Amino acid sequence: MLAEIGLISTLFAFIAALYAIVASVYGERFAHSHALVTSGRNAVYLNFVLMTVATLSLQIALMTQQYQISYVWSVSSPSMPDFFRFTALWGSQAGSILFWSFLMSAFTAGATFLNWKSQRRLMPYAIAYMMAVVAFFIGVTLFIENPFDRWWILPTGDVVASAFIPAGAVAPSAAQLAQTANGLNPLLRHFGMAIHPPMLYLGFVGFVIPFAFAMAALASGDLSTNWIKVSRRWALIAWVFLSLGLILGGRWAYDVLGWGGYWGWDPVENAAFLPWLIGTAYLHSVMIQEKRGMLKTWNMFLVIGTFSAVIFATFATRSGLVDSVHSFARSEIGFPMFAFWFILTLVSVWLIVWRSSRGELKDDHQLKSLFSREALFVLNNFVFIALFVAIFWGSFGAPIISELFMNTSITLGADYFLQVTPPLFILLFILMGIAPVSAWGAASLARMGRAVLIPLALTAASIGLFVVGGVTEIGALFGYGIVLFAGWVAVVETVRGIRARQHVHRENPLTSVIALYTRNPRRYGGYFIHLGITIIGLGVIGSTVFQQETQQTLAVGESLSLGIYEMRYDGFLANQIAEDGRVMDIAELTLFRDGVEVAHLRPRRDFFPEATDMNSMTIAGAHSTVENDFYVILVNWEQISASSATFKVYINPLINLVWWGGLILIIGTMLAGYPRETMPVRVREKLHAVPQGA
Amino acid sequence: MTELSWGKTADSAAAQKSRSGERLKFIIGGALLLGAVVFLIVSGTMSGARYFITVNDLLTSPEEYIGQSVRISGAVDGTTIVYDSTNLIIDFTIADIPEDTTDLALTLHEAVNDPTAARISVHIENQVKPDLLQHEAQAILTGVLQPDGTFVATELLLKCPSRYEESVPDQVEETGV
Repeated sequence: MLAEIGLISTLFAFIAALYAIVASVYGERFAHSHALVTSGRNAVYLNFVLMTVATLSLQIALMTQQYQISYVWSVSSPSMPDFFRFTALWGSQAGSILFWSFLMSAFTAGATFLNWKSQRRLMPYAIAYMMAVVAFFIGVTLFIENPFDRWWILPTGDVVASAFIPAGAVAPSAAQLAQTANGLNPLLRHFGMAIHPPMLYLGFVGFVIPFAFAMAALASGDLSTNWIKVSRRWALIAWVFLSLGLILGGRWAYDVLGWGGYWGWDPVENAAFLPWLIGTAYLHSVMIQEKRGMLKTWNMFLVIGTFSAVIFATFATRSGLVDSVHSFARSEIGFPMFAFWFILTLVSVWLIVWRSSRGELKDDHQLKSLFSREALFVLNNFVFIALFVAIFWGSFGAPIISELFMNTSITLGADYFLQVTPPLFILLFILMGIAPVSAWGAASLARMGRAVLIPLALTAASIGLFVVGGVTEIGALFGYGIVLFAGWVAVVETVRGIRARQHVHRENPLTSVIALYTRNPRRYGGYFIHLGITIIGLGVIGSTVFQQETQQTLAVGESLSLGIYEMRYDGFLANQIAEDGRVMDIAELTLFRDGVEVAHLRPRRDFFPEATDMNSMTIAGAHSTVENDFYVILVNWEQISASSATFKVYINPLINLVWWGGLILIIGTMLAGYPRETMPVRVREKLHAVPQGA
Repeated sequence: MTELSWGKTADSAAAQKSRSGERLKFIIGGALLLGAVVFLIVSGTMSGARYFITVNDLLTSPEEYIGQSVRISGAVDGTTIVYDSTNLIIDFTIADIPEDTTDLALTLHEAVNDPTAARISVHIENQVKPDLLQHEAQAILTGVLQPDGTFVATELLLKCPSRYEESVPDQVEETGV
């Protein structure tokens, strides 16, 4: 029953999406029919309702264990806890594409609802673009990766998955299906992994909205900053979810993959990082268009680039592109995806060229000073794009080109990325430090020099602390210095803003702080985000440059020491059975710091008796402080007596700053996206919007 | 695009001249930066590039690859895994798998069970045995072929193909109808 409901809803959602595209564009452009355009909008809402029903049916099928549905069978099993039953919705390809379509549909409905009245010129085209993306993904769900397929036993005895009942087929018995159900890959049963995909998807989907509105601006001819204003908050939401998704993915790798690191420059990770890079460039670059009316064409290309990166990332990871171009070309979704991306990009580029040739994308200003804020922003864009190109080349470009044209396969490993990206990241941090103290239009070096004096002094003082703390490596100190400078600039500029307000308005400090963030959320929220990035940067440098490791076999009662820590092996708990059926072998350790007991650690190995392929999982034990993580992996043990066991131990300095920086980044984004509630601005925006909408 | 609208009064020859001077600065700066980035990527590619070849390729013309860091991919034969957990040394054998496959799980299974498939023994030091190192997993190794024919790997990536691919419920198949 659920499968039928899901399938039918998805089918009608697909039709609704197609109708919305046709009604909007035809109604607006050719028929000039208000009623038709309005019916297009209603189709958007209908699409959302139907996709909600479809997604809910799959979710309910998962929760109620309808194993005849082959998707449910392949990602869940009777012993799985409800939480993972819930997250299994995006546990494999078919479900995750349905979920992706649902999120996109929800975002489209939201963007339509919020802007229908105020952006009448943009909306029909924006709807067409957004619905085109929705329709494509629903189409993939319907025709290629159907999550509502069910198992059937043919008269010949073969078992097949099909959406419709094949002639003469019968359903397999529920008990047998339940018994053979796969269950979610144990590696994915981690909190970070459970919520990492939806975060990424929200980020991906969110970035389609600015794309749709930018293209709507081109199509409708409303080339004011309306499309930027409308999509700014969506871009911010997308950005923060994408950032969060990346950080959670790192956290998962750190906790589960057991190599003491969080980023391995794997193509799959890089694919998700690419939209982040280009999206971040876009978030900076649109500010120039809003403030100075510059870079109009460039922003259009950035927004197309973000969209392309999103589509690429969605598929690259799961279509086999990572392994080989050939398998990608042969994978079922490879060609449709490429065709979809190609057509949408072609239409978009054509729109840009058309508007541009009519002189409608002319910039209001030109770059004048090398140290003006807009010049530094352009440089910032350049570096982001350079990083994008370098990472794309390393992960996909070189392997694909060598495979297509050189009849061999060349891959670039982590050493490529470790060589190419650090100089670019350094340049970014330098820009992050000096751009906030530069001025729009033209800036004098003298003024900038004065503005950076205090941050420079604070940076020097912090470096001094690092030196006192025992860091002597010049390279690392240089890295810390660059990163800290960017952070101190953010702090000093914020303090300066608060003090200026206090001076002028004679308020109490708290009022000033609140006023600062509500009156100028983007600027000061942005600084807050910069601070988060600084903290992440410190964590990355510390944990990469100063990681210590050792491994040793210990008998019960013996200890090993690493740095300031000493770890004692106390004993072993074998065959502990957990709620979800996993069997745990646990080593019990006591951790001492400078001779004082600080923690009991329990690194373990979990065994999943029911899993068919991947059936064991190493779970590290960690003791976290601000200063570092003491991270221990149970490598092996004496089978029966467990009288001795082998451990691999890491000290990861400053690693927690990576996660905490992520938290600050979220707060900063919330501040930056906080609606600015001041009358004059509202009035000004309204006055601005009326003549264009008329 | 290049026309200016910022200063209606700035149309004097002097302004024009200083403007083109400014533009020259941007062009030179941009070219330098672009050059630096290209250099960075090219030099990174030169030092980071590795041939990604099959076990067969490696064994057919070993002289071409001995001493050179390459990447190979093969199917892990689980029966050959020897793990010295005290010294963290792993030895195992991988069987050749063809470059293009549609069903990776099946290809891996066939490769391991094909006695005629080319095989190479792999030696890895200072490596905790990964959970994914199992029978019929796909191993992607970066390392150097030694004159004695073993492949000493420095990097080990593993894939269990069934992760994203749905298999038919075979027990159902056996007991069904």
